[in-house]
Amino acid sequence: MGELEQKFAAAFLTEGRWILYFKGLGVTLGIAVLAAILGVIFGTVLGIMKLSFREDGKKTLWNILATAYVDVIRGTPSVLQLLIMWFIVFATWNNGVAVASISFGLNSAAYVSEIVRGGILAVDVGQMEAGRSLGLSKAMTMRYIILPQALKNMVPPLGNEFITLLKETAIVGYVSLTDLTRAANQIASRTYEAFMPLIGTAVIYFVVIKILTLLLGVLERRLRESDQR
Amino acid sequence: MKQRVIAVVLTCLLVLLMVSGCTGTTTGFAPAGSSENKKLVVGTNAEFPPFEYIDDNGKPDGFDMALIKAIGEKMGKEVDIQNMEFDSLVSSIGTKIDLAIAGMTVTEERQNTVDFSDPYYTAVQYVILPADSEIATYEDLSGKAIGVQLGTTGDFDASDIEEADSSTKVSRYNKGVDAVNDLLNGKVDCVIIDKNPAETFVSKHAEELVAVDGSQFGFEEESYAIAMPKGDKELVDAVNKALQEIKSEGTFDKLVEEYIGN
Repeated sequence: MGELEQKFAAAFLTEGRWILYFKGLGVTLGIAVLAAILGVIFGTVLGIMKLSFREDGKKTLWNILATAYVDVIRGTPSVLQLLIMWFIVFATWNNGVAVASISFGLNSAAYVSEIVRGGILAVDVGQMEAGRSLGLSKAMTMRYIILPQALKNMVPPLGNEFITLLKETAIVGYVSLTDLTRAANQIASRTYEAFMPLIGTAVIYFVVIKILTLLLGVLERRLRESDQR
Repeated sequence: MKQRVIAVVLTCLLVLLMVSGCTGTTTGFAPAGSSENKKLVVGTNAEFPPFEYIDDNGKPDGFDMALIKAIGEKMGKEVDIQNMEFDSLVSSIGTKIDLAIAGMTVTEERQNTVDFSDPYYTAVQYVILPADSEIATYEDLSGKAIGVQLGTTGDFDASDIEEADSSTKVSRYNKGVDAVNDLLNGKVDCVIIDKNPAETFVSKHAEELVAVDGSQFGFEEESYAIAMPKGDKELVDAVNKALQEIKSEGTFDKLVEEYIGN
Protein backbone atom coordinates (compact mmCIF):
# COMPACT_ATOMS: atom_id res chain seq x y z
CA MET A 1 0.00 0.00 0.00
CA GLY A 2 2.92 2.31 0.77
CA GLU A 3 3.97 2.21 -2.87
CA LEU A 4 0.46 3.03 -4.04
CA GLU A 5 0.30 6.02 -1.69
CA GLN A 6 3.61 7.22 -3.03
CA LYS A 7 2.37 6.93 -6.60
CA PHE A 8 -0.82 8.74 -5.66
CA ALA A 9 1.19 11.56 -4.09
CA ALA A 10 3.46 11.80 -7.15
CA ALA A 11 0.51 11.90 -9.52
CA PHE A 12 -1.76 14.31 -7.63
CA LEU A 13 -0.02 16.17 -4.83
CA THR A 14 3.65 16.98 -5.49
CA GLU A 15 4.36 20.31 -7.12
CA GLY A 16 0.69 21.20 -6.86
CA ARG A 17 -0.19 18.80 -9.68
CA TRP A 18 -3.84 18.71 -8.68
CA ILE A 19 -4.05 22.30 -9.96
CA LEU A 20 -3.22 20.98 -13.43
CA TYR A 21 -6.16 18.53 -13.28
CA PHE A 22 -8.41 21.31 -12.04
CA LYS A 23 -7.41 23.65 -14.84
CA GLY A 24 -7.75 20.76 -17.29
CA LEU A 25 -11.25 20.01 -16.05
CA GLY A 26 -12.06 23.71 -16.49
CA VAL A 27 -10.93 23.57 -20.13
CA THR A 28 -12.89 20.34 -20.70
CA LEU A 29 -16.10 21.76 -19.22
CA GLY A 30 -15.61 25.15 -20.89
CA ILE A 31 -15.28 23.65 -24.35
CA ALA A 32 -18.14 21.21 -23.76
CA VAL A 33 -20.56 23.90 -22.53
CA LEU A 34 -19.71 26.42 -25.27
CA ALA A 35 -19.91 23.69 -27.91
CA ALA A 36 -23.24 22.47 -26.53
CA ILE A 37 -24.74 25.96 -26.69
CA LEU A 38 -23.55 26.41 -30.26
CA GLY A 39 -24.62 22.87 -31.10
CA VAL A 40 -28.15 23.25 -29.75
CA ILE A 41 -28.77 26.61 -31.46
CA PHE A 42 -27.30 25.65 -34.82
CA GLY A 43 -28.60 22.09 -34.55
CA THR A 44 -32.18 23.30 -34.01
CA VAL A 45 -31.92 25.48 -37.10
CA LEU A 46 -30.55 22.53 -39.09
CA GLY A 47 -33.23 20.20 -37.73
CA ILE A 48 -36.01 22.55 -38.79
CA MET A 49 -34.34 23.02 -42.18
CA LYS A 50 -34.36 19.25 -42.63
CA LEU A 51 -38.12 19.23 -42.06
CA SER A 52 -38.97 21.71 -44.77
CA PHE A 53 -40.64 20.28 -47.86
CA ARG A 54 -42.22 21.93 -50.87
CA GLU A 55 -45.93 21.63 -51.62
CA ASP A 56 -45.21 18.81 -54.08
CA GLY A 57 -43.39 16.84 -51.39
CA LYS A 58 -39.89 17.46 -52.74
CA LYS A 59 -37.06 18.75 -50.54
CA THR A 60 -36.49 22.52 -50.39
CA LEU A 61 -33.04 24.01 -51.00
CA TRP A 62 -32.72 24.55 -47.21
CA ASN A 63 -33.40 20.89 -46.64
CA ILE A 64 -30.79 19.82 -49.20
CA LEU A 65 -28.15 22.13 -47.70
CA ALA A 66 -28.79 20.93 -44.15
CA THR A 67 -28.77 17.28 -45.24
CA ALA A 68 -25.44 17.76 -47.02
CA TYR A 69 -23.95 19.46 -43.94
CA VAL A 70 -25.05 16.66 -41.63
CA ASP A 71 -23.67 14.08 -44.06
CA VAL A 72 -20.24 15.72 -44.20
CA ILE A 73 -19.96 16.20 -40.43
CA ARG A 74 -21.14 12.70 -39.59
CA GLY A 75 -18.96 11.24 -42.32
CA THR A 76 -15.64 12.53 -40.96
CA PRO A 77 -13.88 11.88 -37.62
CA SER A 78 -14.16 14.72 -35.14
CA VAL A 79 -10.43 14.69 -34.43
CA LEU A 80 -9.86 15.39 -38.12
CA GLN A 81 -12.40 18.23 -38.04
CA LEU A 82 -10.56 19.68 -35.05
CA LEU A 83 -7.18 19.50 -36.79
CA ILE A 84 -8.63 21.10 -39.93
CA MET A 85 -10.15 23.92 -37.84
CA TRP A 86 -6.91 24.51 -35.91
CA PHE A 87 -4.30 24.20 -38.66
CA ILE A 88 -6.26 25.35 -41.72
CA VAL A 89 -9.51 27.26 -41.13
CA PHE A 90 -8.37 29.26 -38.10
CA ALA A 91 -4.65 28.92 -38.85
CA THR A 92 -3.78 32.27 -37.31
CA TRP A 93 -6.32 32.42 -34.50
CA ASN A 94 -4.56 31.62 -31.25
CA ASN A 95 -7.56 31.08 -28.96
CA GLY A 96 -7.50 27.31 -28.60
CA VAL A 97 -10.62 27.02 -26.44
CA ALA A 98 -12.63 29.10 -28.92
CA VAL A 99 -11.44 27.12 -31.95
CA ALA A 100 -12.14 23.82 -30.19
CA SER A 101 -15.58 25.01 -29.05
CA ILE A 102 -16.51 26.01 -32.58
CA SER A 103 -15.19 22.77 -33.97
CA PHE A 104 -17.09 20.62 -31.47
CA GLY A 105 -20.15 22.87 -31.67
CA LEU A 106 -20.36 22.48 -35.45
CA ASN A 107 -19.89 18.76 -35.02
CA SER A 108 -22.50 18.44 -32.31
CA ALA A 109 -25.00 20.51 -34.34
CA ALA A 110 -25.20 17.72 -36.91
CA TYR A 111 -26.22 15.20 -34.26
CA VAL A 112 -28.52 17.65 -32.48
CA SER A 113 -30.32 18.36 -35.77
CA GLU A 114 -31.34 14.71 -35.97
CA ILE A 115 -32.52 14.79 -32.36
CA VAL A 116 -34.61 17.90 -33.06
CA ARG A 117 -36.03 16.40 -36.24
CA GLY A 118 -36.84 13.15 -34.47
CA GLY A 119 -38.41 15.01 -31.54
CA ILE A 120 -40.70 17.03 -33.81
CA LEU A 121 -41.66 14.04 -35.97
CA ALA A 122 -42.58 12.09 -32.84
CA VAL A 123 -45.40 14.56 -32.12
CA ASP A 124 -48.56 13.20 -33.70
CA VAL A 125 -49.40 14.82 -37.03
CA GLY A 126 -52.95 15.34 -35.74
CA GLN A 127 -51.61 18.04 -33.42
CA MET A 128 -50.65 20.17 -36.40
CA GLU A 129 -53.98 19.52 -38.07
CA ALA A 130 -55.83 20.42 -34.87
CA GLY A 131 -53.86 23.64 -34.48
CA ARG A 132 -54.47 24.62 -38.09
CA SER A 133 -58.18 23.88 -37.87
CA LEU A 134 -58.39 26.13 -34.81
CA GLY A 135 -57.15 28.97 -37.01
CA LEU A 136 -53.54 29.08 -35.83
CA SER A 137 -50.89 29.72 -38.46
CA LYS A 138 -48.32 27.04 -39.25
CA ALA A 139 -45.61 28.94 -37.33
CA MET A 140 -47.86 29.52 -34.32
CA THR A 141 -48.88 25.85 -34.16
CA MET A 142 -45.17 24.97 -34.31
CA ARG A 143 -44.30 27.45 -31.58
CA TYR A 144 -47.18 26.86 -29.13
CA ILE A 145 -48.28 23.28 -29.72
CA ILE A 146 -45.64 21.16 -31.44
CA LEU A 147 -42.35 22.44 -29.99
CA PRO A 148 -43.35 22.26 -26.29
CA GLN A 149 -44.26 18.61 -26.78
CA ALA A 150 -41.25 17.92 -28.97
CA LEU A 151 -38.92 19.39 -26.34
CA LYS A 152 -39.87 16.66 -23.88
CA ASN A 153 -38.98 14.04 -26.46
CA MET A 154 -35.65 15.73 -27.08
CA VAL A 155 -34.34 16.02 -23.53
CA PRO A 156 -33.07 12.44 -23.05
CA PRO A 157 -31.19 12.25 -26.38
CA LEU A 158 -29.87 15.80 -25.91
CA GLY A 159 -28.49 14.82 -22.50
CA ASN A 160 -26.93 11.82 -24.17
CA GLU A 161 -25.35 14.07 -26.80
CA PHE A 162 -23.92 16.42 -24.17
CA ILE A 163 -22.33 13.54 -22.29
CA THR A 164 -20.79 12.24 -25.52
CA LEU A 165 -19.56 15.74 -26.30
CA LEU A 166 -17.97 16.14 -22.88
CA LYS A 167 -15.97 12.97 -23.32
CA GLU A 168 -15.12 13.67 -26.94
CA THR A 169 -13.27 16.84 -25.92
CA ALA A 170 -10.53 14.49 -24.65
CA ILE A 171 -8.90 14.82 -28.09
CA VAL A 172 -8.08 18.55 -27.82
CA GLY A 173 -4.57 17.59 -26.73
CA TYR A 174 -3.93 17.21 -30.46
CA VAL A 175 -3.96 20.98 -30.81
CA SER A 176 -1.86 21.57 -27.69
CA LEU A 177 -4.74 22.43 -25.36
CA THR A 178 -4.42 21.10 -21.84
CA ASP A 179 -7.77 19.53 -21.02
CA LEU A 180 -8.30 16.92 -18.31
CA THR A 181 -6.99 14.01 -20.40
CA ARG A 182 -3.99 16.01 -21.58
CA ALA A 183 -3.23 17.03 -18.00
CA ALA A 184 -3.07 13.35 -17.09
CA ASN A 185 -0.78 12.66 -20.06
CA GLN A 186 1.42 15.58 -19.14
CA ILE A 187 1.80 14.37 -15.56
CA ALA A 188 2.45 10.81 -16.71
CA SER A 189 5.21 12.17 -18.95
CA ARG A 190 6.81 13.73 -15.85
CA THR A 191 6.43 10.90 -13.36
CA TYR A 192 6.69 8.06 -15.90
CA GLU A 193 3.77 6.38 -14.13
CA ALA A 194 0.66 6.14 -16.27
CA PHE A 195 -1.48 4.25 -13.75
CA MET A 196 -2.52 6.90 -11.24
CA PRO A 197 -3.09 9.83 -13.61
CA LEU A 198 -5.16 7.72 -16.00
CA ILE A 199 -7.31 5.97 -13.39
CA GLY A 200 -7.70 9.21 -11.42
CA THR A 201 -8.79 11.07 -14.54
CA ALA A 202 -11.27 8.34 -15.39
CA VAL A 203 -12.77 8.74 -11.93
CA ILE A 204 -13.03 12.52 -12.37
CA TYR A 205 -14.83 12.14 -15.73
CA PHE A 206 -17.14 9.55 -14.21
CA VAL A 207 -18.08 11.72 -11.23
CA VAL A 208 -18.72 14.78 -13.41
CA ILE A 209 -20.92 12.79 -15.78
CA LYS A 210 -22.76 11.08 -12.92
CA ILE A 211 -23.64 14.50 -11.47
CA LEU A 212 -24.75 15.61 -14.92
CA THR A 213 -26.94 12.50 -15.30
CA LEU A 214 -28.64 13.21 -11.98
CA LEU A 215 -29.32 16.84 -12.99
CA LEU A 216 -30.77 15.68 -16.31
CA GLY A 217 -33.03 13.28 -14.44
CA VAL A 218 -34.37 16.15 -12.34
CA LEU A 219 -34.99 18.25 -15.46
CA GLU A 220 -36.83 15.40 -17.14
CA ARG A 221 -39.08 14.83 -14.15
CA ARG A 222 -39.95 18.54 -13.99
CA LEU A 223 -40.88 18.53 -17.68
CA ARG A 224 -43.11 15.49 -17.19
CA GLU A 225 -44.96 16.95 -14.20
CA SER A 226 -47.89 18.11 -16.33
CA ASP A 227 -48.25 14.78 -18.09
CA GLN A 228 -51.40 12.84 -17.21
CA ARG A 229 -50.18 9.34 -17.70
CA MET B 1 -32.52 1.18 -0.43
CA LYS B 2 -30.61 -1.72 1.06
CA GLN B 3 -30.36 -3.35 -2.34
CA ARG B 4 -28.92 -0.19 -3.83
CA VAL B 5 -26.24 -0.01 -1.14
CA ILE B 6 -25.30 -3.62 -1.83
CA ALA B 7 -25.19 -2.91 -5.56
CA VAL B 8 -22.86 0.07 -5.06
CA VAL B 9 -20.55 -1.91 -2.77
CA LEU B 10 -20.42 -4.78 -5.26
CA THR B 11 -19.61 -2.43 -8.15
CA CYS B 12 -16.79 -0.84 -6.16
CA LEU B 13 -15.41 -4.27 -5.32
CA LEU B 14 -15.53 -5.28 -8.96
CA VAL B 15 -13.68 -2.15 -10.05
CA LEU B 16 -11.08 -2.65 -7.34
CA LEU B 17 -10.60 -6.24 -8.42
CA MET B 18 -10.14 -5.19 -12.02
CA VAL B 19 -7.67 -2.49 -11.07
CA SER B 20 -5.61 -4.69 -8.76
CA GLY B 21 -5.70 -7.41 -11.42
CA CYS B 22 -4.21 -4.95 -13.89
CA THR B 23 -1.36 -3.91 -11.64
CA GLY B 24 -0.65 -7.55 -10.93
CA THR B 25 -0.24 -8.37 -14.60
CA THR B 26 1.91 -5.34 -15.36
CA THR B 27 4.48 -6.19 -12.72
CA GLY B 28 4.42 -9.92 -13.29
CA PHE B 29 4.34 -9.87 -17.08
CA ALA B 30 7.51 -11.14 -18.74
CA PRO B 31 8.46 -8.79 -21.61
CA ALA B 32 8.31 -10.32 -25.04
CA GLY B 33 12.08 -10.23 -25.49
CA SER B 34 13.30 -11.87 -22.30
CA SER B 35 16.22 -14.12 -23.03
CA GLU B 36 14.23 -17.16 -24.17
CA ASN B 37 12.57 -15.07 -26.90
CA LYS B 38 14.22 -14.30 -30.22
CA LYS B 39 12.43 -11.00 -30.68
CA LEU B 40 13.51 -7.60 -29.44
CA VAL B 41 10.48 -5.31 -29.22
CA VAL B 42 11.62 -1.73 -29.64
CA GLY B 43 9.51 1.33 -28.93
CA THR B 44 10.08 4.63 -30.69
CA ASN B 45 8.28 7.82 -31.62
CA ALA B 46 8.89 8.32 -35.31
CA GLU B 47 8.42 12.09 -35.21
CA PHE B 48 12.00 13.07 -34.61
CA PRO B 49 14.02 13.40 -37.80
CA PRO B 50 16.74 12.45 -38.55
CA PHE B 51 16.82 10.04 -35.60
CA GLU B 52 13.45 8.50 -36.32
CA TYR B 53 10.80 9.25 -38.87
CA ILE B 54 8.41 7.42 -41.15
CA ASP B 55 10.09 6.79 -44.49
CA ASP B 56 8.48 6.83 -47.93
CA ASN B 57 7.40 3.22 -47.49
CA GLY B 58 5.54 4.02 -44.29
CA LYS B 59 8.09 2.29 -42.08
CA PRO B 60 10.04 3.86 -39.20
CA ASP B 61 13.52 4.79 -40.37
CA GLY B 62 16.37 6.99 -39.21
CA PHE B 63 19.61 6.87 -37.27
CA ASP B 64 18.14 5.29 -34.14
CA MET B 65 16.33 2.65 -36.16
CA ALA B 66 19.47 1.69 -38.06
CA LEU B 67 21.44 1.64 -34.82
CA ILE B 68 18.98 -0.57 -32.96
CA LYS B 69 18.79 -2.97 -35.89
CA ALA B 70 22.59 -3.25 -35.81
CA ILE B 71 22.44 -3.84 -32.06
CA GLY B 72 19.71 -6.46 -32.50
CA GLU B 73 21.86 -8.23 -35.07
CA LYS B 74 24.78 -8.36 -32.63
CA MET B 75 22.47 -9.78 -29.96
CA GLY B 76 21.09 -12.34 -32.39
CA LYS B 77 17.55 -11.00 -32.11
CA GLU B 78 14.97 -9.88 -34.58
CA VAL B 79 14.02 -6.25 -34.06
CA ASP B 80 10.31 -5.46 -34.00
CA ILE B 81 9.68 -1.70 -34.01
CA GLN B 82 6.57 -0.24 -32.37
CA ASN B 83 5.78 3.39 -33.12
CA MET B 84 3.97 5.23 -30.29
CA GLU B 85 3.57 8.63 -28.61
CA PHE B 86 6.79 9.86 -27.04
CA ASP B 87 5.23 10.41 -23.64
CA SER B 88 3.96 6.81 -23.57
CA LEU B 89 7.40 5.34 -24.20
CA VAL B 90 8.86 5.27 -20.71
CA SER B 91 5.77 3.82 -19.08
CA SER B 92 5.64 1.08 -21.74
CA ILE B 93 9.17 -0.16 -21.15
CA GLY B 94 9.23 -3.62 -19.62
CA THR B 95 5.61 -4.31 -20.46
CA LYS B 96 4.68 -3.46 -24.03
CA ILE B 97 8.24 -3.01 -25.26
CA ASP B 98 11.65 -4.33 -24.24
CA LEU B 99 13.47 -1.07 -24.74
CA ALA B 100 13.00 2.39 -26.19
CA ILE B 101 15.27 4.23 -28.59
CA ALA B 102 13.91 7.65 -29.49
CA GLY B 103 16.62 10.26 -29.10
CA MET B 104 15.85 9.98 -25.42
CA THR B 105 17.85 12.20 -23.11
CA VAL B 106 19.26 10.73 -19.91
CA THR B 107 17.67 12.58 -16.99
CA GLU B 108 17.62 11.90 -13.26
CA GLU B 109 13.84 11.62 -13.22
CA ARG B 110 13.85 9.03 -15.98
CA GLN B 111 16.63 7.11 -14.23
CA ASN B 112 14.22 6.55 -11.34
CA THR B 113 12.03 4.36 -13.54
CA VAL B 114 14.34 3.00 -16.27
CA ASP B 115 17.97 2.03 -16.80
CA PHE B 116 19.89 3.64 -19.63
CA SER B 117 22.56 2.22 -21.94
CA ASP B 118 25.82 4.08 -22.43
CA PRO B 119 25.05 7.38 -24.16
CA TYR B 120 25.42 7.15 -27.94
CA TYR B 121 24.98 10.77 -28.92
CA THR B 122 25.25 14.21 -27.38
CA ALA B 123 23.09 17.11 -28.42
CA VAL B 124 21.78 20.43 -27.24
CA GLN B 125 18.30 21.90 -27.45
CA TYR B 126 17.79 24.36 -30.29
CA VAL B 127 15.40 27.26 -30.48
CA ILE B 128 13.52 27.72 -33.75
CA LEU B 129 12.58 31.35 -34.33
CA PRO B 130 10.92 33.32 -37.10
CA ALA B 131 13.68 34.93 -39.18
CA ASP B 132 12.69 38.41 -37.96
CA SER B 133 12.33 37.48 -34.28
CA GLU B 134 13.89 39.68 -31.60
CA ILE B 135 14.32 36.81 -29.13
CA ALA B 136 18.05 36.46 -28.45
CA THR B 137 18.59 35.56 -24.80
CA TYR B 138 17.13 33.22 -22.18
CA GLU B 139 15.43 36.20 -20.53
CA ASP B 140 13.68 37.05 -23.82
CA LEU B 141 11.94 33.67 -23.71
CA SER B 142 10.02 34.42 -20.53
CA GLY B 143 6.53 35.70 -21.14
CA LYS B 144 6.51 34.33 -24.70
CA ALA B 145 4.40 31.60 -26.28
CA ILE B 146 6.68 28.57 -26.56
CA GLY B 147 5.91 25.45 -28.58
CA VAL B 148 7.37 22.07 -27.58
CA GLN B 149 6.76 18.36 -28.03
CA LEU B 150 5.08 16.84 -24.97
CA GLY B 151 7.46 15.09 -22.57
CA THR B 152 10.67 16.06 -24.37
CA THR B 153 13.66 17.96 -22.96
CA GLY B 154 12.35 21.06 -24.72
CA ASP B 155 9.12 20.62 -22.74
CA PHE B 156 11.10 20.46 -19.48
CA ASP B 157 13.15 23.56 -20.38
CA ALA B 158 10.00 25.47 -21.34
CA SER B 159 8.28 24.33 -18.14
CA ASP B 160 11.17 25.82 -16.13
CA ILE B 161 10.68 29.13 -17.91
CA GLU B 162 6.92 28.92 -17.33
CA GLU B 163 7.45 28.22 -13.63
CA ALA B 164 9.68 31.27 -13.22
CA ASP B 165 7.28 33.55 -15.10
CA SER B 166 3.65 32.47 -15.25
CA SER B 167 2.88 34.81 -18.18
CA THR B 168 4.83 32.37 -20.35
CA LYS B 169 2.51 30.14 -22.36
CA VAL B 170 3.77 26.67 -23.19
CA SER B 171 1.93 24.76 -25.93
CA ARG B 172 2.67 21.04 -25.84
CA TYR B 173 2.17 19.13 -29.09
CA ASN B 174 2.18 15.43 -29.93
CA LYS B 175 4.62 16.08 -32.73
CA GLY B 176 7.42 18.54 -33.34
CA VAL B 177 6.05 19.32 -36.78
CA ASP B 178 2.76 20.54 -35.26
CA ALA B 179 4.69 22.99 -33.08
CA VAL B 180 6.61 24.22 -36.14
CA ASN B 181 3.34 24.59 -38.03
CA ASP B 182 1.93 26.81 -35.32
CA LEU B 183 5.18 28.79 -35.31
CA LEU B 184 4.73 29.41 -39.04
CA ASN B 185 1.12 30.44 -38.39
CA GLY B 186 2.26 32.83 -35.66
CA LYS B 187 0.47 30.97 -32.85
CA VAL B 188 3.70 30.52 -30.90
CA ASP B 189 6.79 32.77 -30.76
CA CYS B 190 9.40 30.03 -30.76
CA VAL B 191 9.85 26.27 -30.61
CA ILE B 192 12.34 24.54 -28.33
CA ILE B 193 13.37 21.18 -29.77
CA ASP B 194 16.46 19.00 -30.24
CA LYS B 195 19.15 20.16 -32.63
CA ASN B 196 18.72 17.74 -35.50
CA PRO B 197 14.97 17.92 -35.93
CA ALA B 198 15.29 21.71 -35.57
CA GLU B 199 17.70 21.81 -38.49
CA THR B 200 15.55 19.47 -40.54
CA PHE B 201 12.45 21.59 -39.99
CA VAL B 202 14.26 24.88 -40.67
CA SER B 203 15.81 23.53 -43.88
CA LYS B 204 12.24 23.09 -45.16
CA HIS B 205 11.34 26.71 -44.35
CA ALA B 206 14.69 28.43 -44.82
CA GLU B 207 13.04 31.74 -45.75
CA GLU B 208 10.86 32.13 -42.68
CA LEU B 209 12.68 30.31 -39.87
CA VAL B 210 16.08 30.14 -38.20
CA ALA B 211 17.43 27.57 -35.74
CA VAL B 212 19.58 28.92 -32.94
CA ASP B 213 22.00 26.82 -30.88
CA GLY B 214 20.46 26.55 -27.42
CA SER B 215 23.84 26.95 -25.71
CA GLN B 216 23.41 30.64 -26.55
CA PHE B 217 20.34 30.51 -24.34
CA GLY B 218 22.17 28.59 -21.64
CA PHE B 219 20.60 25.17 -22.31
CA GLU B 220 22.88 22.36 -21.19
CA GLU B 221 24.28 19.64 -23.40
CA GLU B 222 22.51 16.32 -23.05
CA SER B 223 23.13 12.67 -23.92
CA TYR B 224 20.86 10.32 -25.82
CA ALA B 225 20.70 6.73 -24.63
CA ILE B 226 18.58 3.61 -24.98
CA ALA B 227 16.08 3.13 -22.16
CA MET B 228 15.51 -0.33 -20.69
CA PRO B 229 13.54 -1.82 -17.77
CA LYS B 230 14.87 -0.84 -14.35
CA GLY B 231 17.15 -3.53 -12.93
CA ASP B 232 17.43 -5.65 -16.09
CA LYS B 233 21.21 -5.77 -15.90
CA GLU B 234 21.45 -8.62 -18.39
CA LEU B 235 19.77 -6.61 -21.13
CA VAL B 236 21.71 -3.41 -20.32
CA ASP B 237 25.01 -5.28 -20.50
CA ALA B 238 24.08 -7.00 -23.75
CA VAL B 239 23.06 -3.72 -25.38
CA ASN B 240 26.17 -1.90 -24.15
CA LYS B 241 28.38 -4.68 -25.45
CA ALA B 242 26.70 -4.59 -28.85
CA LEU B 243 26.94 -0.79 -28.94
CA GLN B 244 30.66 -0.98 -28.11
CA GLU B 245 31.27 -3.48 -30.92
CA ILE B 246 29.38 -1.36 -33.42
CA LYS B 247 31.45 1.66 -32.45
CA SER B 248 34.81 -0.12 -32.67
CA GLU B 249 33.93 -1.67 -36.03
CA GLY B 250 33.24 1.75 -37.48
CA THR B 251 29.62 0.94 -38.32
CA PHE B 252 28.50 3.63 -35.87
CA ASP B 253 30.40 6.41 -37.64
CA LYS B 254 29.06 5.20 -40.96
CA LEU B 255 25.50 5.47 -39.64
CA VAL B 256 26.17 8.97 -38.29
CA GLU B 257 27.45 9.98 -41.70
CA GLU B 258 24.54 8.40 -43.51
CA TYR B 259 21.73 9.80 -41.36
CA ILE B 260 23.01 12.85 -39.51
CA GLY B 261 25.78 14.24 -41.69
CA ASN B 262 27.99 17.00 -40.25
